[in-house]
Order: sequence, then structure tokens, then C-alpha cells
Amino acid sequence: MTDDRLLEVRDLEVEFTTRDGVVRALNGVSYGVDAGETLAVLGESGSGKSVTAQAIMGILDMPPGRITGGEILFQGRDLLGLGAEERRKIRGPKMAMIFQDALSSLNPVLSVGFQLGEMFRVHRGASRKEAKERAVELMERVRIPAARQRVNDYPHEFSGGMRQRIMIAMALALEPDLIIADEPTTALDVTVQAQVMDLLADLQREYRMGLILITHDLGVVADTADRIAVMYAGRIVENAPVKELYAAPAHPYTKGLLDSIPRLDQKGGQLYAISGLPPNLLHVPDGCPFHPRCPRARDRCRTDLPPLYAVSERAAGGAADATAEAAEAAAADAAHDDIARVPEVGERSSACHYWKETVDDARRA
Amino acid sequence: MTPGAREPILEVRDLVKHFPLTQGIILRRQVGAVRAVDGVSFTLYPGETLGIVGESGCGKSTVAKLLMNLERPTAGAVLYKGEDISKLSGRALKAVRRNIQMVFQDPYTSLNPRMTVGDIIGEPFDIHPDVAPKGDRRRRVRELLDVVGLNPEYINRYPHQFSGGQRQRIGIARGLALNPEIIVADEPVSALDVSVQAQVINLMEKLQDEFGLAYMVIAHDLSIVRHISDRVGVMYLGKIVEIGSDTAIYEHPTHPYTQALLSAVPVPDPQAREGRERIILTGDVPSPANPPSGCRFRTRCWKAQERCERQEPPLAVPPVLADRTGEVLHDSACHFAEEKRRVAHG
Repeated sequence: MTDDRLLEVRDLEVEFTTRDGVVRALNGVSYGVDAGETLAVLGESGSGKSVTAQAIMGILDMPPGRITGGEILFQGRDLLGLGAEERRKIRGPKMAMIFQDALSSLNPVLSVGFQLGEMFRVHRGASRKEAKERAVELMERVRIPAARQRVNDYPHEFSGGMRQRIMIAMALALEPDLIIADEPTTALDVTVQAQVMDLLADLQREYRMGLILITHDLGVVADTADRIAVMYAGRIVENAPVKELYAAPAHPYTKGLLDSIPRLDQKGGQLYAISGLPPNLLHVPDGCPFHPRCPRARDRCRTDLPPLYAVSERAAGGAADATAEAAEAAAADAAHDDIARVPEVGERSSACHYWKETVDDARRA
Repeated sequence: MTPGAREPILEVRDLVKHFPLTQGIILRRQVGAVRAVDGVSFTLYPGETLGIVGESGCGKSTVAKLLMNLERPTAGAVLYKGEDISKLSGRALKAVRRNIQMVFQDPYTSLNPRMTVGDIIGEPFDIHPDVAPKGDRRRRVRELLDVVGLNPEYINRYPHQFSGGQRQRIGIARGLALNPEIIVADEPVSALDVSVQAQVINLMEKLQDEFGLAYMVIAHDLSIVRHISDRVGVMYLGKIVEIGSDTAIYEHPTHPYTQALLSAVPVPDPQAREGRERIILTGDVPSPANPPSGCRFRTRCWKAQERCERQEPPLAVPPVLADRTGEVLHDSACHFAEEKRRVAHG
């Protein structure tokens, strides 16, 4: 754990009580973000990426949701032990969230200036006039043209890209240490998406904020993230620095995702498709939740749930300086022994019994 | 497949669709028009895939509706095998529609929740009873389910019992029911998860080979369009600004808008992050109710000059590139067209 560690989620477990039974949305999720770092959380719908974010922000609907275990350490304090009033004081000044759909996240009957100013009125006790003044400044910060004329406009009078900028401005208002962006550009066109991601990266650099970027777009991740956490069925299945993950994924699910995207620079042939469907969280398969869709699945995967294994270069036999014997010894130590070392939060890791083969195959290809 | 001397199956000529803007409650006066589609021409050949890309609001979905004759064009013609279908009605229109079918974007709202899958896929047979005789329909529906990779046993299930990808397969099966020659797909995979998108794209390609379908695919995702298309048209504010083979558009784009669009696509390779040149457009798409004079892209274009304001560039091979050969020679509506080769990544 570094001194810079801003947020650390440890073994977070969340359940939802539904009419059809208890849905275990998160089954022990751990990840960490340092100050100034961008962590991308990648996953399909239902993988639990947004639920994790809501639990961190403290905006999870409870009931039906329930946090049944784990801790969320923010600047060294466990947020789950705090009361509602203390949480509220953190939300805004310390951490903020950008939502996907700006039109439904903004109040349609209040002007954007009023909504932006609310942050200063509530948290800083500013007067209405001061707050409006600050709102104009914020709109200028996120490069909205003619901010002073538009401060009294309503959300519907702005275009999609401009509305998303207002969401960003609102999140930035009190200069928080951590921003969680939940699919910030999914609803936008590519040219506008590029503008918004650029703006977000600039502002993050300027304020040295930690950023959690929740997305399912592997292109956006490659462009902006420092580290990636891949989620599947309420678990982290791979955790890695961005370049290492794209160079050699250590989990078959990550590999499948990377192979299934059509790329501008490669054409023709069939796309690789992960067979089957994401699991229903009411009936998560035994063993590794990915095994029914996994090309690498063996008997062990059907019964034993793989923990997160630490992925080290040496054990994977990929590093140039490792001798063959050392690699073998390390491999025997790490991969196929059941007493594998538990990885630190944020260390490169993979929840696959056969991560070693997966990495090696990826390197060879 | 390259269009050779073959007859086009569908030809669109100077298609225009204006939606009136009115004012007043009792006396409705027309005060203007949203020029959603403003002079679009292209051809579609049998067995090929034409991709149309563009940002939201550029009119690509309106083009799809015009092709299906769900909207009547303000001007222009849609020729199906030489016959203008935009003027047809009644029985003649019904006969043509059998051959042009549509797959919709949102598999969650485009299937009737109160109908079983068998009824949804079999409904086209009620309208065109000559395709499948009454006693034979269930068998045909089962066949179709099998063709799109669903279990034929699911015939009595309802749409909510399926996942998004499976629902899109049902939508495709419905589109195939009448053995059409053309399928118009409006954003067929954008509502699906990444791992399921690839399955649906592969299915569409398989069906094209099997049945010799011509696809017109409308999408905003440039990498998916590239993957499936033989030719690609780029739309901006109701007009096609550049059209050509997929290599021409993706490797040798000459229109500044296409270049900006391509450079904005995130590349799934972190190694390419530093090296690549990105053109970030400023501002938003202007309102189609009041488009800029001359070239419509000039308000966001870094090359815009006084001429662009006065004179609208035609969609043709730009004269400045006339001395070149190869893929650079394709239609591009820009006075200052210039080739910009994409740097290949990874």
C-alpha cells in the first residue's frame, strides 16, 4: 500500500433482496486508486461495476441493497463505519460522481446555474449571488462558450456534450480528491466523446485527482487509464496496469473481450465471440463463474472458485532475465500450489486457475 | 464484393426529407423546416454491405425510414430494381416491402411484449400469406429460430425471457421471415454488451453469405461499420460528405470531417496513445433547421475559407486530387480535399 493510496475497497460484498431471491451483486471486490491515477473498471452490464461505485459514494439504494461485508477505506478512514451526516460531508467536497445520462441526472425545472451553485450554497454557505458567480466560473472552466449568458438556461437547452460538461463541472465544483465517472461518454458521439474525455483528463491532471472510470469501451480505457480492474459476475477477475493487460491478458475473459472488438486497423474474417451469455446473478455457476463460457475450462474450474492469484512476470516465464529453472520453480510455487500468495490490493492479479497458460499464450500470439 | 457491371438493387437519387416546423395553435403556419435529409444519393448492389456512419442528428435513421417507405420523401426517388417505391401505395407497395426488411436498434422495445416469439416471427406471414401456407408456418418459424442460432423449442416464450443478444436474434429472424433481398439495419448492435456484439455481427455476416442479402447498416460505431461494410458513406447534417470503398474511407479519407471522425475513435491499444494524432473538433453540430450556407461542415472545419461559405462543394471526386490514382479517387464533398493516410496502429 503506497502513501498515495486515496481509496481502497476491500472484499466488498453487496446483496439485493428481490422477489425472486437474494442477488449477490458483489462477492468480495477489492481495488485501489492512488491520487492522480486513473483506474478503469471494465465490465458488462450486471457485472457489478456501478454497484461498487454507488457503495463507495454511499448512494446505494438500501433497501433493497445491503452491504454485507468488506470495507471502503478513503484517505485511511472506513466509510462504512460513518453516519449519514458524515458521509454527506464527504460527498461533494471529497468525492464526486459523474453520471452517464446527463439529461436525466439534472433537474429539468431548475436552471443549470442554480444546480451548479447549490454545491457552494449547501457545502460552503455561499449566498445566492456568490453561488451564481461561482457557477459561471465553473462553466468557463469546462469550456462552455458564453457561460455568463447561458447560466440561467435549463438543461434541455443544452446539447448532449454541453450537458455532460455541466455534469463534470458539478462534480469538480468543490475540487474533490476522487471522481467516479460512470460511463461518462457512452451517450455521446465520438467527436464529442473525444472532447469530453480530453477535458476530463486535463482537469484531472490539474487538480491531481484520483479518477475511477467505469466503462465497457475498451478503446476509451486504452486511451485514458493507468490501471484496469476487469469485473465479471460481481468479482474482480483481473487487475493490471493498462499496457500489461493489453499486451498479455491473464484471464480468458479479458482475452475474449480484447479479441472480440472489431478494430479500425484490422479487417476481415470472423470476429472472435465469447460464446454464451453473462450469468444470471440469481444462479451464478459453481466454481469459476466464467467456466461455462471459457475455452480453457477444465474439471477444476467447475468446482473450485479461483481466488485472485498474483501474476508475476517471473512465474509467467515472460521476463527476459529469468532463467528456465527459476521460472519453473516460481511457477510451481505460485500457480499450481493451492497456497498461492495473496496479492496486494492493486497488484497485478488474475482470478483464473490457469492464468499462467493464458499469459503465455497471449505472449506467444 | 465489388460492384462491377451488375445492376444495382436499390438506387437513391437526391433524396430530401424536410419536417415542417409550425407555429400557432389554430392557424398552423409553417415557419421553417428541419432539413433532416437534404439531397442524398447512393446505390446498393446485390450481396454487398453499405455502411452509413454519422453523428446523432445527421439524418441517418431518417434515410432508413425513407428506404422502408415509412416516411414519404419531400423530393427525390428511391428506385428498387428501377421502380420508384416512394410513389407506390397499396398492393404494389406491399409487394416491394416484402423484399426490403428492417432490423431495429433497440431489441427491448422493438418486440411486442405480449406476443410469443412464434407470433412475432410469424406475423409477417399474416401480411404476406403467399410466402408460407397456413399449416406450414410453425415449421418455418422453427427453421428461422434455428437459422439465427436460437433453440426452436423457445417458440412459445415471450421476449422478456430472453437476453438482449437473443432478442436481437429474434428481430433478425423476423426480418428474414419473408426471404428479403435487402435488410436495413439501424444500429443493430449498439444496445448490446461488447461480448454479445461480436456474436450478432458474426451471425449477420453468416446470413449474408447464406442468403445473398444486401445490407444497409447504419451505425455510429466506426470500427463495427468497417468490419462489416464493403462500401461506407459518411453523413453530416443531412448530406453524404464522403463515400467510397471501406479502404478508401478508412485508409485514404479526403474529407476533413471523415478525418476528424476517424481520429476521434479510441484505439484499443495503450501503446498507440502517445504517437497518434488526434483532431478534436470544436463545438457542436449546427441545427438542421438552420444549416450553415455553402459547405455545412465549415463552422467546425479548420480548413474553412471564404469559398466554403459561398459555394457548396459537390459530392464528386475532388478536382485537386484528379492526378492521383488508386483508392484516393472517391467522392468527397470538399473544396480543399486532401489525402490523410491513417497511421496504422499495432
